[in-house]
Amino acid sequence: MKHSLVKGSKYIFLIPSLFFFGISMFIPFLTGLNVAFTNWDGLSKSYDYVGFNNFRLMLSDKNLIVPIRNTIYYALFVTVFNNIITLFLAVMLNRKFRGRNILRTIFFVPTCLSAVLAAFTWGFIYREVFQNVFGANSPLGSMKYVIPGIAGITLWNSCGINLVIYLAALANVPNELNEAALIDGAGRWRKFWNITVPMIMPAFSVCVTLTLTYSLREFAMPMAATSGGGPARASETMAIYIYNNLYAFNRAGYGQAVAFAFMIFLIFIGYSVSRIFRSREVEL
Amino acid sequence: MIRSGSINLRKIDCLDVLSILMLFVFAAIFIFPFYICIVTSIKTPLETATSVLALPSEIQWSNFSQAIKISKFSTAFINSSITTFCSVFLIVVCSSMAGYVISRNYKQKFFTLIEMLYLGAMMLPFQIIMIPVYRMMKNMNMINSLWGLILLLVGTSMPYSTFLYIGFVKTVPKELEEAAIVDGYGPYRLYWQIVFPLLKPITSTVAALHVLWMWNEFTISLIMLQKDSVRTIPIQQYFFFGQYTVNLNLGFASAVLSMIPVIIFFLASQKYIIEGVSAGAVKG
Repeated sequence: MKHSLVKGSKYIFLIPSLFFFGISMFIPFLTGLNVAFTNWDGLSKSYDYVGFNNFRLMLSDKNLIVPIRNTIYYALFVTVFNNIITLFLAVMLNRKFRGRNILRTIFFVPTCLSAVLAAFTWGFIYREVFQNVFGANSPLGSMKYVIPGIAGITLWNSCGINLVIYLAALANVPNELNEAALIDGAGRWRKFWNITVPMIMPAFSVCVTLTLTYSLREFAMPMAATSGGGPARASETMAIYIYNNLYAFNRAGYGQAVAFAFMIFLIFIGYSVSRIFRSREVEL
Repeated sequence: MIRSGSINLRKIDCLDVLSILMLFVFAAIFIFPFYICIVTSIKTPLETATSVLALPSEIQWSNFSQAIKISKFSTAFINSSITTFCSVFLIVVCSSMAGYVISRNYKQKFFTLIEMLYLGAMMLPFQIIMIPVYRMMKNMNMINSLWGLILLLVGTSMPYSTFLYIGFVKTVPKELEEAAIVDGYGPYRLYWQIVFPLLKPITSTVAALHVLWMWNEFTISLIMLQKDSVRTIPIQQYFFFGQYTVNLNLGFASAVLSMIPVIIFFLASQKYIIEGVSAGAVKG
Protein backbone atom coordinates (compact mmCIF):
# COMPACT_ATOMS: atom_id res chain seq x y z
CA MET A 1 0.00 0.00 0.00
CA LYS A 2 1.33 3.42 -0.74
CA HIS A 3 1.85 6.11 1.84
CA SER A 4 -1.26 7.53 3.37
CA LEU A 5 -0.33 10.99 2.22
CA VAL A 6 0.70 11.96 -1.24
CA LYS A 7 4.32 13.04 -1.54
CA GLY A 8 4.82 16.71 -0.85
CA SER A 9 1.65 17.23 1.11
CA LYS A 10 3.23 15.45 4.04
CA TYR A 11 5.81 18.22 4.21
CA ILE A 12 3.08 20.84 3.96
CA PHE A 13 1.49 19.36 7.08
CA LEU A 14 4.65 20.19 9.00
CA ILE A 15 4.84 23.81 7.91
CA PRO A 16 2.47 25.43 10.46
CA SER A 17 4.15 23.66 13.35
CA LEU A 18 7.66 24.42 12.11
CA PHE A 19 6.71 28.05 11.47
CA PHE A 20 5.70 28.69 15.09
CA PHE A 21 8.52 26.58 16.49
CA GLY A 22 11.08 28.21 14.23
CA ILE A 23 10.10 31.77 15.08
CA SER A 24 9.77 31.34 18.79
CA MET A 25 12.40 28.73 19.60
CA PHE A 26 14.79 27.75 16.84
CA ILE A 27 15.77 31.19 15.54
CA PRO A 28 15.99 32.71 19.06
CA PHE A 29 18.20 29.82 20.08
CA LEU A 30 20.61 30.56 17.22
CA THR A 31 20.60 34.33 17.75
CA GLY A 32 21.10 33.59 21.42
CA LEU A 33 24.32 31.81 20.60
CA ASN A 34 25.38 34.93 18.78
CA VAL A 35 24.39 37.29 21.63
CA ALA A 36 26.39 35.24 24.11
CA PHE A 37 29.58 36.35 22.38
CA THR A 38 28.76 40.06 22.46
CA ASN A 39 28.64 42.82 25.03
CA TRP A 40 25.10 43.82 24.07
CA ASP A 41 23.35 45.74 26.86
CA GLY A 42 19.81 44.77 25.90
CA LEU A 43 18.81 48.27 24.81
CA SER A 44 21.13 49.86 22.28
CA LYS A 45 21.25 49.02 18.59
CA SER A 46 24.97 48.34 18.42
CA TYR A 47 27.23 45.90 20.19
CA ASP A 48 30.70 44.44 19.84
CA TYR A 49 31.86 40.87 19.69
CA VAL A 50 33.91 39.98 22.72
CA GLY A 51 34.82 36.39 21.96
CA PHE A 52 34.79 34.11 24.98
CA ASN A 53 34.99 37.06 27.35
CA ASN A 54 31.52 36.50 28.83
CA PHE A 55 32.33 32.92 29.63
CA ARG A 56 35.65 33.91 31.19
CA LEU A 57 33.83 36.56 33.21
CA MET A 58 31.46 33.93 34.52
CA LEU A 59 34.28 31.97 36.16
CA SER A 60 35.23 34.96 38.28
CA ASP A 61 31.69 36.27 38.88
CA LYS A 62 31.13 36.22 42.64
CA ASN A 63 27.48 37.20 42.15
CA LEU A 64 26.90 33.89 40.43
CA ILE A 65 27.52 31.80 43.54
CA VAL A 66 24.36 32.95 45.32
CA PRO A 67 21.89 31.97 42.56
CA ILE A 68 23.67 28.66 41.97
CA ARG A 69 23.43 27.77 45.65
CA ASN A 70 19.79 28.92 45.87
CA THR A 71 18.76 27.02 42.76
CA ILE A 72 20.31 23.76 43.90
CA TYR A 73 18.98 24.10 47.45
CA TYR A 74 15.47 24.90 46.19
CA ALA A 75 15.45 22.12 43.58
CA LEU A 76 16.65 19.46 46.01
CA PHE A 77 14.16 20.58 48.63
CA VAL A 78 11.23 20.50 46.20
CA THR A 79 12.28 17.22 44.56
CA VAL A 80 12.78 15.32 47.80
CA PHE A 81 9.63 16.51 49.55
CA ASN A 82 7.45 16.42 46.47
CA ASN A 83 8.28 12.79 45.80
CA ILE A 84 7.98 11.68 49.42
CA ILE A 85 4.62 13.40 49.85
CA THR A 86 3.12 12.35 46.52
CA LEU A 87 4.32 8.76 46.89
CA PHE A 88 2.74 8.59 50.33
CA LEU A 89 -0.51 10.12 49.08
CA ALA A 90 -0.58 7.84 46.05
CA VAL A 91 -0.10 4.70 48.16
CA MET A 92 -2.86 5.89 50.47
CA LEU A 93 -5.21 6.72 47.63
CA ASN A 94 -4.52 3.49 45.77
CA ARG A 95 -7.27 1.59 47.56
CA LYS A 96 -10.96 1.61 47.06
CA PHE A 97 -12.80 3.65 49.62
CA ARG A 98 -15.51 6.25 49.53
CA GLY A 99 -14.16 9.75 49.15
CA ARG A 100 -11.09 8.62 47.23
CA ASN A 101 -11.92 10.69 44.15
CA ILE A 102 -12.76 13.73 46.23
CA LEU A 103 -9.39 13.48 47.98
CA ARG A 104 -7.59 13.11 44.67
CA THR A 105 -9.36 16.21 43.38
CA ILE A 106 -8.44 18.12 46.55
CA PHE A 107 -4.77 17.33 46.02
CA PHE A 108 -4.89 18.20 42.34
CA VAL A 109 -6.91 21.43 42.31
CA PRO A 110 -4.09 23.68 43.62
CA THR A 111 -2.01 22.54 40.64
CA CYS A 112 -4.49 24.31 38.36
CA LEU A 113 -3.81 27.72 39.90
CA SER A 114 -1.18 30.13 38.66
CA ALA A 115 2.03 30.62 40.60
CA VAL A 116 0.99 34.23 41.18
CA LEU A 117 -2.23 33.19 42.93
CA ALA A 118 -0.49 30.50 44.96
CA ALA A 119 2.23 32.90 46.04
CA PHE A 120 -0.25 35.62 47.00
CA THR A 121 -2.40 33.25 49.04
CA TRP A 122 0.50 31.61 50.85
CA GLY A 123 2.25 34.94 51.34
CA PHE A 124 -0.81 36.02 53.30
CA ILE A 125 -1.01 32.72 55.20
CA TYR A 126 2.68 32.90 56.14
CA ARG A 127 2.37 36.51 57.21
CA GLU A 128 -0.98 36.65 58.98
CA VAL A 129 -1.91 33.13 59.99
CA PHE A 130 1.58 32.10 61.10
CA GLN A 131 1.82 35.30 63.09
CA ASN A 132 -1.59 35.04 64.76
CA VAL A 133 -1.82 31.32 65.28
CA PHE A 134 1.75 30.18 65.83
CA GLY A 135 3.36 33.50 66.65
CA ALA A 136 5.96 32.82 63.96
CA ASN A 137 7.29 35.24 61.39
CA SER A 138 6.81 34.67 57.69
CA PRO A 139 9.58 32.47 56.26
CA LEU A 140 9.46 34.66 53.14
CA GLY A 141 11.02 37.52 55.07
CA SER A 142 13.87 35.49 56.50
CA MET A 143 17.19 34.91 54.75
CA LYS A 144 17.36 31.45 56.24
CA TYR A 145 13.85 30.13 55.61
CA VAL A 146 12.82 31.89 52.43
CA ILE A 147 13.68 28.95 50.17
CA PRO A 148 11.86 26.31 52.23
CA GLY A 149 8.98 28.82 52.36
CA ILE A 150 8.84 29.17 48.59
CA ALA A 151 9.31 25.43 48.18
CA GLY A 152 6.30 24.90 50.42
CA ILE A 153 4.15 27.00 48.10
CA THR A 154 5.51 25.11 45.09
CA LEU A 155 4.65 21.80 46.73
CA TRP A 156 1.05 22.90 47.26
CA ASN A 157 0.94 24.24 43.72
CA SER A 158 2.42 21.19 41.95
CA CYS A 159 2.01 17.98 43.95
CA GLY A 160 -0.98 16.99 41.82
CA ILE A 161 1.16 16.15 38.80
CA ASN A 162 3.36 13.55 40.45
CA LEU A 163 0.44 12.21 42.44
CA VAL A 164 -1.42 11.41 39.23
CA ILE A 165 1.66 9.78 37.71
CA TYR A 166 2.24 7.61 40.79
CA LEU A 167 -1.43 6.66 40.96
CA ALA A 168 -1.35 5.55 37.32
CA ALA A 169 1.76 3.48 38.02
CA LEU A 170 0.29 1.88 41.14
CA ALA A 171 -2.89 1.00 39.28
CA ASN A 172 -0.71 -0.97 36.85
CA VAL A 173 0.81 -3.19 39.52
CA PRO A 174 -0.82 -6.56 38.88
CA ASN A 175 -2.98 -7.68 41.77
CA GLU A 176 -1.65 -11.26 41.50
CA LEU A 177 1.74 -10.06 42.72
CA ASN A 178 0.26 -8.61 45.89
CA GLU A 179 -1.85 -11.69 46.46
CA ALA A 180 1.10 -14.00 45.95
CA ALA A 181 3.08 -11.99 48.46
CA LEU A 182 0.20 -12.17 50.89
CA ILE A 183 0.08 -15.95 50.60
CA ASP A 184 3.83 -16.14 51.10
CA GLY A 185 3.28 -14.21 54.29
CA ALA A 186 5.28 -11.14 53.29
CA GLY A 187 4.86 -8.22 55.65
CA ARG A 188 3.75 -4.80 54.55
CA TRP A 189 7.23 -3.30 54.27
CA ARG A 190 8.62 -6.28 52.43
CA LYS A 191 5.72 -6.11 50.04
CA PHE A 192 6.30 -2.41 49.53
CA TRP A 193 10.05 -2.73 48.93
CA ASN A 194 9.98 -5.94 46.92
CA ILE A 195 6.86 -5.43 44.81
CA THR A 196 5.60 -1.86 44.78
CA VAL A 197 8.95 -0.10 44.58
CA PRO A 198 10.40 -2.10 41.66
CA MET A 199 7.08 -1.92 39.80
CA ILE A 200 6.78 1.85 40.05
CA MET A 201 10.47 2.50 39.42
CA PRO A 202 9.80 3.87 35.91
CA ALA A 203 7.26 6.35 37.33
CA PHE A 204 9.67 7.22 40.12
CA SER A 205 12.43 7.97 37.65
CA VAL A 206 10.09 10.13 35.53
CA CYS A 207 8.82 12.04 38.56
CA VAL A 208 12.24 12.69 40.06
CA THR A 209 13.71 13.76 36.73
CA LEU A 210 10.75 16.00 35.92
CA THR A 211 10.57 17.63 39.36
CA LEU A 212 14.31 18.16 39.44
CA THR A 213 14.65 19.70 35.98
CA TYR A 214 11.52 21.83 36.42
CA SER A 215 12.51 23.15 39.81
CA LEU A 216 16.05 23.89 38.67
CA ARG A 217 14.50 26.28 36.11
CA GLU A 218 12.08 27.84 38.57
CA PHE A 219 11.30 31.44 37.81
CA ALA A 220 7.66 32.27 38.46
CA MET A 221 7.31 31.17 42.08
CA PRO A 222 10.22 33.02 43.72
CA MET A 223 9.45 35.98 41.46
CA ALA A 224 5.85 36.13 42.65
CA ALA A 225 6.46 35.13 46.27
CA THR A 226 9.24 37.58 47.06
CA SER A 227 8.97 40.07 44.19
CA GLY A 228 12.23 39.17 42.58
CA GLY A 229 14.40 36.95 44.74
CA GLY A 230 14.50 38.75 48.08
CA PRO A 231 15.21 39.26 50.90
CA ALA A 232 18.64 40.41 49.75
CA ARG A 233 18.96 37.85 46.94
CA ALA A 234 18.32 34.97 49.35
CA SER A 235 15.81 33.39 46.95
CA GLU A 236 17.31 34.53 43.65
CA THR A 237 17.41 31.53 41.33
CA MET A 238 19.47 31.13 38.17
CA ALA A 239 16.43 31.93 36.04
CA ILE A 240 15.89 35.18 37.95
CA TYR A 241 19.60 36.04 37.74
CA ILE A 242 19.48 35.65 33.95
CA TYR A 243 16.29 37.74 33.83
CA ASN A 244 17.90 40.46 35.95
CA ASN A 245 20.91 40.61 33.65
CA LEU A 246 18.58 41.65 30.88
CA TYR A 247 16.11 43.89 32.69
CA ALA A 248 17.96 45.29 35.67
CA PHE A 249 21.70 45.17 34.95
CA ASN A 250 21.59 45.77 31.17
CA ARG A 251 24.05 42.98 30.53
CA ALA A 252 22.14 40.92 27.99
CA GLY A 253 25.27 39.46 26.39
CA TYR A 254 26.58 38.22 29.70
CA GLY A 255 23.14 36.97 30.75
CA GLN A 256 22.91 34.97 27.56
CA ALA A 257 26.28 33.36 28.20
CA VAL A 258 25.11 32.42 31.69
CA ALA A 259 21.93 30.99 30.17
CA PHE A 260 23.99 28.73 27.91
CA ALA A 261 26.13 27.48 30.75
CA PHE A 262 22.90 26.90 32.70
CA MET A 263 21.42 24.93 29.81
CA ILE A 264 24.45 22.66 29.62
CA PHE A 265 24.22 22.12 33.37
CA LEU A 266 20.51 21.21 33.07
CA ILE A 267 21.10 18.78 30.22
CA PHE A 268 23.91 17.17 32.19
CA ILE A 269 21.73 16.79 35.31
CA GLY A 270 18.72 15.52 33.36
CA TYR A 271 20.86 13.04 31.46
CA SER A 272 22.71 11.68 34.45
CA VAL A 273 19.63 11.39 36.65
CA SER A 274 17.72 9.45 34.04
CA ARG A 275 20.81 7.29 33.42
CA ILE A 276 21.03 6.41 37.10
CA PHE A 277 17.37 5.43 37.19
CA ARG A 278 17.26 3.59 33.90
CA SER A 279 19.88 1.13 35.09
CA ARG A 280 17.66 0.23 38.05
CA GLU A 281 14.39 -0.31 36.26
CA VAL A 282 13.03 -3.83 35.95
CA GLU A 283 11.30 -5.27 32.94
CA LEU A 284 8.21 -7.33 33.51
CA MET B 1 -10.87 -17.99 48.13
CA ILE B 2 -8.95 -14.86 47.42
CA ARG B 3 -10.85 -11.88 46.23
CA SER B 4 -9.08 -8.71 45.26
CA GLY B 5 -10.50 -7.03 48.33
CA SER B 6 -9.05 -9.59 50.69
CA ILE B 7 -5.86 -7.58 51.08
CA ASN B 8 -7.81 -5.04 53.06
CA LEU B 9 -9.14 -7.63 55.45
CA ARG B 10 -6.10 -7.74 57.71
CA LYS B 11 -6.26 -6.15 61.10
CA ILE B 12 -6.06 -2.40 61.32
CA ASP B 13 -2.99 -1.43 63.32
CA CYS B 14 -1.20 1.65 64.57
CA LEU B 15 0.49 2.40 61.25
CA ASP B 16 -2.86 2.38 59.44
CA VAL B 17 -4.35 4.84 61.88
CA LEU B 18 -1.28 7.03 61.66
CA SER B 19 -1.23 7.08 57.88
CA ILE B 20 -4.95 7.78 57.61
CA LEU B 21 -4.46 10.62 60.07
CA MET B 22 -1.58 11.94 57.94
CA LEU B 23 -3.76 11.74 54.85
CA PHE B 24 -6.38 13.94 56.47
CA VAL B 25 -3.77 16.37 57.78
CA PHE B 26 -2.47 16.74 54.22
CA ALA B 27 -5.99 17.16 52.88
CA ALA B 28 -6.63 19.86 55.46
CA ILE B 29 -3.39 21.67 54.54
CA PHE B 30 -4.35 21.50 50.87
CA ILE B 31 -7.85 22.90 51.43
CA PHE B 32 -6.91 25.51 54.01
CA PRO B 33 -5.66 28.15 51.50
CA PHE B 34 -9.00 28.00 49.70
CA TYR B 35 -10.77 28.65 52.99
CA ILE B 36 -8.50 31.63 53.63
CA CYS B 37 -9.10 32.99 50.11
CA ILE B 38 -12.86 32.77 50.31
CA VAL B 39 -13.20 33.99 53.88
CA THR B 40 -10.84 36.92 53.39
CA SER B 41 -12.51 37.93 50.14
CA ILE B 42 -15.84 38.52 51.92
CA LYS B 43 -14.52 40.35 55.01
CA THR B 44 -13.77 43.96 55.81
CA PRO B 45 -10.15 44.97 56.51
CA LEU B 46 -11.07 45.49 60.15
CA GLU B 47 -12.45 41.98 60.48
CA THR B 48 -9.32 40.58 58.86
CA ALA B 49 -7.15 42.50 61.29
CA THR B 50 -9.11 41.24 64.31
CA SER B 51 -9.05 37.61 63.30
CA VAL B 52 -7.70 36.07 60.12
CA LEU B 53 -9.50 32.77 60.54
CA ALA B 54 -12.96 33.85 61.67
CA LEU B 55 -15.96 34.04 59.39
CA PRO B 56 -17.30 37.52 58.68
CA SER B 57 -20.34 38.87 60.48
CA GLU B 58 -21.73 39.96 57.16
CA ILE B 59 -20.68 39.00 53.63
CA GLN B 60 -19.09 41.93 51.83
CA TRP B 61 -20.26 41.36 48.28
CA SER B 62 -19.06 44.82 47.35
CA ASN B 63 -15.47 43.57 47.65
CA PHE B 64 -15.95 41.75 44.38
CA SER B 65 -17.32 44.68 42.40
CA GLN B 66 -14.60 46.95 43.79
CA ALA B 67 -11.90 44.35 43.03
CA ILE B 68 -13.12 44.05 39.46
CA LYS B 69 -12.77 47.80 39.09
CA ILE B 70 -9.38 48.44 40.65
CA SER B 71 -7.61 45.30 39.50
CA LYS B 72 -8.86 45.97 35.93
CA PHE B 73 -10.21 42.47 36.06
CA SER B 74 -12.50 42.61 33.02
CA THR B 75 -9.73 43.72 30.66
CA ALA B 76 -7.38 41.08 32.02
CA PHE B 77 -10.08 38.45 31.78
CA ILE B 78 -10.76 39.30 28.13
CA ASN B 79 -7.02 39.31 27.35
CA SER B 80 -6.57 35.95 29.05
CA SER B 81 -9.53 34.49 27.20
CA ILE B 82 -8.32 35.68 23.79
CA THR B 83 -4.78 34.46 24.45
CA THR B 84 -5.86 31.09 25.80
CA PHE B 85 -8.47 30.40 23.15
CA CYS B 86 -6.32 31.39 20.16
CA SER B 87 -3.17 29.69 21.33
CA VAL B 88 -4.89 26.43 22.26
CA PHE B 89 -6.70 26.41 18.92
CA LEU B 90 -3.44 26.93 17.01
CA ILE B 91 -1.58 24.41 19.17
CA VAL B 92 -4.16 21.72 18.43
CA VAL B 93 -4.29 22.41 14.69
CA CYS B 94 -0.54 22.69 14.14
CA SER B 95 0.70 19.97 16.44
CA SER B 96 -1.92 17.42 15.42
CA MET B 97 -0.94 17.82 11.76
CA ALA B 98 2.76 17.66 12.57
CA GLY B 99 2.36 14.76 14.98
CA TYR B 100 0.38 12.86 12.38
CA VAL B 101 2.92 13.11 9.56
CA ILE B 102 5.89 12.58 11.86
CA SER B 103 4.33 9.45 13.29
CA ARG B 104 3.28 8.06 9.89
CA ASN B 105 6.70 8.71 8.31
CA TYR B 106 8.87 7.81 11.25
CA LYS B 107 11.22 5.76 9.10
CA GLN B 108 12.26 8.76 7.03
CA LYS B 109 15.31 10.68 8.15
CA PHE B 110 13.77 14.13 7.77
CA PHE B 111 10.84 13.35 10.06
CA THR B 112 13.04 11.62 12.63
CA LEU B 113 15.20 14.72 12.60
CA ILE B 114 12.20 16.95 13.37
CA GLU B 115 11.16 14.62 16.15
CA MET B 116 14.65 14.75 17.66
CA LEU B 117 14.62 18.54 17.34
CA TYR B 118 11.35 18.74 19.26
CA LEU B 119 12.53 16.28 21.89
CA GLY B 120 15.65 18.35 22.42
CA ALA B 121 13.65 21.57 22.57
CA MET B 122 11.53 20.13 25.37
CA MET B 123 14.63 20.12 27.56
CA LEU B 124 15.45 23.79 26.97
CA PRO B 125 14.88 26.21 29.81
CA PHE B 126 12.97 29.28 28.63
CA GLN B 127 15.78 31.53 29.88
CA ILE B 128 17.97 30.39 27.02
CA ILE B 129 15.69 32.11 24.49
CA MET B 130 14.31 34.85 26.73
CA ILE B 131 16.81 37.53 25.77
CA PRO B 132 16.75 36.87 21.98
CA VAL B 133 12.96 36.55 21.98
CA TYR B 134 12.63 39.88 23.73
CA ARG B 135 14.96 41.50 21.23
CA MET B 136 13.19 39.96 18.26
CA MET B 137 9.76 40.98 19.51
CA LYS B 138 11.00 44.48 20.17
CA ASN B 139 12.38 44.76 16.65
CA MET B 140 9.09 43.53 15.23
CA ASN B 141 7.16 45.96 17.45
CA MET B 142 5.29 43.07 19.00
CA ILE B 143 5.99 43.79 22.68
CA ASN B 144 2.63 44.57 24.26
CA SER B 145 0.82 42.72 21.52
CA LEU B 146 -1.37 39.74 22.32
CA TRP B 147 -0.62 38.32 18.87
CA GLY B 148 3.08 38.36 19.62
CA LEU B 149 2.39 36.57 22.87
CA ILE B 150 0.19 33.98 21.17
CA LEU B 151 2.90 33.38 18.56
CA LEU B 152 5.42 32.65 21.32
CA LEU B 153 3.08 30.52 23.38
CA VAL B 154 2.18 28.37 20.39
CA GLY B 155 5.81 28.02 19.33
CA THR B 156 7.11 27.08 22.75
CA SER B 157 4.24 24.60 23.27
CA MET B 158 4.85 22.90 19.93
CA PRO B 159 7.43 20.32 21.05
CA TYR B 160 5.40 18.83 23.89
CA SER B 161 2.00 18.87 22.19
CA THR B 162 3.42 17.37 18.98
CA PHE B 163 5.13 14.75 21.08
CA LEU B 164 1.80 13.78 22.66
CA TYR B 165 0.21 13.48 19.20
CA ILE B 166 3.10 11.39 17.82
CA GLY B 167 2.59 8.88 20.59
CA PHE B 168 -1.13 8.65 20.01
CA VAL B 169 -1.10 8.40 16.21
CA LYS B 170 1.06 5.27 16.53
CA THR B 171 -1.94 3.53 18.11
CA VAL B 172 -4.37 4.56 15.34
CA PRO B 173 -4.75 1.85 12.65
CA LYS B 174 -4.02 2.86 9.05
CA GLU B 175 -6.81 0.88 7.37
CA LEU B 176 -9.34 3.71 7.37
CA GLU B 177 -6.86 6.05 5.72
CA GLU B 178 -6.00 3.47 3.09
CA ALA B 179 -9.65 2.90 2.33
CA ALA B 180 -10.20 6.64 2.04
CA ILE B 181 -7.31 6.95 -0.43
CA VAL B 182 -8.90 4.23 -2.56
CA ASP B 183 -12.12 6.24 -2.41
CA GLY B 184 -10.22 9.17 -3.88
CA TYR B 185 -9.85 11.42 -0.84
CA GLY B 186 -7.20 14.13 -1.20
CA PRO B 187 -4.69 14.60 1.61
CA TYR B 188 -6.46 17.53 3.28
CA ARG B 189 -9.94 16.03 3.15
CA LEU B 190 -8.46 12.74 4.32
CA TYR B 191 -6.85 14.42 7.28
CA TRP B 192 -9.70 16.64 8.47
CA GLN B 193 -12.57 14.24 7.72
CA ILE B 194 -11.04 10.87 8.57
CA VAL B 195 -7.90 11.20 10.69
CA PHE B 196 -8.56 14.21 12.90
CA PRO B 197 -11.84 12.83 14.31
CA LEU B 198 -9.97 9.65 15.26
CA LEU B 199 -7.52 11.73 17.29
CA LYS B 200 -10.26 13.12 19.50
CA PRO B 201 -9.07 11.48 22.77
CA ILE B 202 -5.59 12.99 22.56
CA THR B 203 -6.99 16.28 21.23
CA SER B 204 -9.15 16.59 24.37
CA THR B 205 -6.11 15.94 26.52
CA VAL B 206 -3.82 18.34 24.67
CA ALA B 207 -6.50 21.05 24.66
CA ALA B 208 -7.42 20.62 28.33
CA LEU B 209 -3.80 20.68 29.52
CA HIS B 210 -2.91 23.68 27.41
CA VAL B 211 -5.98 25.65 28.44
CA LEU B 212 -4.70 25.41 32.02
CA TRP B 213 -1.10 26.16 31.11
CA MET B 214 -1.87 29.08 28.79
CA TRP B 215 -4.35 30.56 31.27
CA ASN B 216 -1.68 30.49 34.01
CA GLU B 217 1.34 31.31 31.86
CA PHE B 218 3.66 33.72 33.65
CA THR B 219 7.23 33.89 32.35
CA ILE B 220 6.67 34.70 28.67
CA SER B 221 3.73 36.97 29.43
CA LEU B 222 5.81 38.88 31.96
CA ILE B 223 8.45 39.91 29.44
CA MET B 224 5.90 40.51 26.67
CA LEU B 225 3.09 42.42 28.35
CA GLN B 226 4.23 45.67 29.86
CA LYS B 227 1.13 47.81 29.42
CA ASP B 228 -2.00 47.51 31.55
CA SER B 229 -4.29 47.26 28.56
CA VAL B 230 -2.79 43.99 27.27
CA ARG B 231 -2.01 42.20 30.52
CA THR B 232 -3.44 38.76 31.15
CA ILE B 233 -4.80 37.77 34.57
CA PRO B 234 -1.57 36.35 36.07
CA ILE B 235 0.44 39.40 35.01
CA GLN B 236 -2.22 41.88 36.04
CA GLN B 237 -2.46 40.18 39.42
CA TYR B 238 1.31 40.04 39.78
CA PHE B 239 1.46 43.84 39.61
CA PHE B 240 -1.78 44.33 41.52
CA PHE B 241 -0.73 42.08 44.43
CA GLY B 242 2.71 43.65 44.41
CA GLN B 243 1.42 47.11 45.32
CA TYR B 244 2.06 47.80 48.98
CA THR B 245 -1.12 49.82 49.29
CA VAL B 246 -3.32 47.02 48.08
CA ASN B 247 -6.33 46.26 50.23
CA LEU B 248 -5.91 42.55 50.98
CA ASN B 249 -9.61 41.84 51.03
CA LEU B 250 -9.92 43.21 47.52
CA GLY B 251 -6.83 41.25 46.54
CA PHE B 252 -8.48 38.05 47.68
CA ALA B 253 -11.75 39.00 46.01
CA SER B 254 -9.80 39.27 42.76
CA ALA B 255 -8.02 35.99 43.52
CA VAL B 256 -11.29 34.16 44.13
CA LEU B 257 -12.81 35.57 40.95
CA SER B 258 -9.87 34.29 38.92
CA MET B 259 -9.96 30.88 40.59
CA ILE B 260 -13.60 30.21 39.76
CA PRO B 261 -13.26 29.71 35.98
CA VAL B 262 -10.11 27.57 36.35
CA ILE B 263 -11.65 25.31 38.95
CA ILE B 264 -14.87 24.91 36.97
CA PHE B 265 -12.82 24.10 33.91
CA PHE B 266 -10.73 21.59 35.82
CA LEU B 267 -13.74 19.81 37.30
CA ALA B 268 -15.32 19.57 33.87
CA SER B 269 -12.23 18.27 32.10
CA GLN B 270 -10.53 16.45 34.98
CA LYS B 271 -10.57 13.14 33.12
CA TYR B 272 -8.60 14.47 30.13
CA ILE B 273 -6.17 16.43 32.25
CA ILE B 274 -5.34 13.46 34.45
CA GLU B 275 -5.02 11.18 31.43
CA GLY B 276 -2.75 13.68 29.76
CA VAL B 277 -0.46 14.04 32.74
CA SER B 278 -0.04 10.31 33.18
CA ALA B 279 0.23 9.60 29.42
CA GLY B 280 2.92 12.22 28.87
CA ALA B 281 4.91 10.94 31.79
CA VAL B 282 4.77 7.28 30.89
CA LYS B 283 6.12 7.94 27.43
CA GLY B 284 8.48 10.71 28.46
